Amino acid sequence: MTAATIVRNSVLEVLQTAFRLVPWPTEAGLRSVGSPDESSPVLLTCNYDLTVRRLLAALEGCDAWVVVAATRGINVWCAAAGGHMSTHQVVSALKTSGVADRVRHRNVILPQLAATGVLALDVFRRCRWRVRFGPVAAADLPAYLGTGEKTDEMRRVTFPLSDRLQMAASWAAPASIAFGGLALFFAPAWALPLCALVTAMAVAAFTVFERLGAHRRAILAAAFTAISLGVTLLFGGGLAAAATAAFTPLLMTAVLTFDYEGTTPLEGGSHFEQRKWTITLDSERCEGVYRCWEVCPEACFEKLEDTRKVELAHDDRCIRCGACVVQCPQDALFFEDSDGARIEPDVIRTYKLNLFGQRSVKAL
Amino acid sequence: MSSLALMRWLEGTPDRYDAGMRALTFGRVDRLHEAVAAAAVEKPGDAVLEIGCGTGSVTVLLRALQARVTALDQAPEMLEQARARFAPGEPIEWIERTASEIDALPEGAFRSVVLSLCLSDMSRSERAFVLREAARRLAPGGRLVVADEVHSRGPIRRALQQLWRIPQAALAWLLVGTVSSPIPDLTGELEAAGLVVLEEKEWLFGSLALAVAERSA
Repeated sequence: MTAATIVRNSVLEVLQTAFRLVPWPTEAGLRSVGSPDESSPVLLTCNYDLTVRRLLAALEGCDAWVVVAATRGINVWCAAAGGHMSTHQVVSALKTSGVADRVRHRNVILPQLAATGVLALDVFRRCRWRVRFGPVAAADLPAYLGTGEKTDEMRRVTFPLSDRLQMAASWAAPASIAFGGLALFFAPAWALPLCALVTAMAVAAFTVFERLGAHRRAILAAAFTAISLGVTLLFGGGLAAAATAAFTPLLMTAVLTFDYEGTTPLEGGSHFEQRKWTITLDSERCEGVYRCWEVCPEACFEKLEDTRKVELAHDDRCIRCGACVVQCPQDALFFEDSDGARIEPDVIRTYKLNLFGQRSVKAL
Repeated sequence: MSSLALMRWLEGTPDRYDAGMRALTFGRVDRLHEAVAAAAVEKPGDAVLEIGCGTGSVTVLLRALQARVTALDQAPEMLEQARARFAPGEPIEWIERTASEIDALPEGAFRSVVLSLCLSDMSRSERAFVLREAARRLAPGGRLVVADEVHSRGPIRRALQQLWRIPQAALAWLLVGTVSSPIPDLTGELEAAGLVVLEEKEWLFGSLALAVAERSA
């Protein structure tokens, strides 16, 4: 790697981490890692630039083909849930990238988090490629490719500190621009302190927020308003500065605590009706294909090897992503509400989530 | 509930698509559609394959010229809108598939293959594949008709186009919910797919183009 590439990649890494909430497309098509041949594994991902660069970096030392699908520059989880990484985009990428001329086999590994959007069986019906859902994290790929086995750790989504800080940065950067920019008009001296404040709030929201318990919104808002106002008055800020200092934490709290379903796969969602729907398993229909077990990011399912069925052992962890419903070839899983009303699997397969986490965008 | 209003706005893409496209092109899109249909249909009964039919704006014009149409689109809500424009029993075959799946259709079966404002939504490798396969679907003497956003030719027009693109991309996202990128070298891509350009037309300072091509001998 040349020095120029390293500098370019570092700048992109910083920019894309700070502004990861906006799409960042890269050229779709076929890439190679190492020196792959006709029996090398084929992996498929989205065309979000940050994802592709991190995936290629994670695969260093492996020989593999990487097919980049045109998902409008949106990351795997959001594109799959929102209908931009569906069976269509996967079929199109497999057929047009030229990968079929490079390998003899027809096995493609998709990121596990694409399972909410891509119908594995339909991909096979439409273009004869067999889909396997690999690990959640790209970092696990070398081990997965080496053994061909997906461990329990590879299946579960975790939200470690490094990921939390990246999410905080992605909220802090645009919020700093918005609030810092506002301050420039009304109280310029307070622009930088306000940027520091919103950054601190974003970090707090993604690290300690969960531990605050009930009324956390009020606690967060009150604490930061007090700090912000206190500092402003202590340093002799005028009326405009004090007003901005009091207003910013309140607005930032509203922004941060609004339910952005999909911001992380671990957040369920509380503002929408969807909350009362629970995942239900019809054991009669289950034939032990274990697709649900393979794709569940929360490991809600346990295999019952003796009866060749699954058990919904940890449905309290369910985040209603619908991946298991989408993949089950027996239609044994569906959503059910407390009144017994059902959402059939085909509805989940067809209707994707809109920007507000509501399942109303028709995608297939 | 302002968020509800916003949601409706975001979800209603197919409803807004036609009006949005008209606004974005200052009405030129209608002339483009007419030119596409005129180039695609020679005589009544001609078989036309329309890739990416969207809400059916071109399909209507093709039917007005009495073509037999095979209309393909991957978006079900777009197809729904398109279908609603016709009485049942019209000779139109609707196919819900991606453009990459036209290789399942018979070779040499169409007088024309039409790609109106859909090629620029595809990636470069998708375009290469689709153009190659579209050329194979043409009957002897058949025409490929492409209309799309392209890079303007000449440095001044190109610079103007670049300047105009920033507000336009923002507006496009709001109006039609997607941002396309103009095709850098349409003629070059057509030639690479084994086609020769017979006729070209331009609108809006060369940013919208129509190309009629046939298979090279």
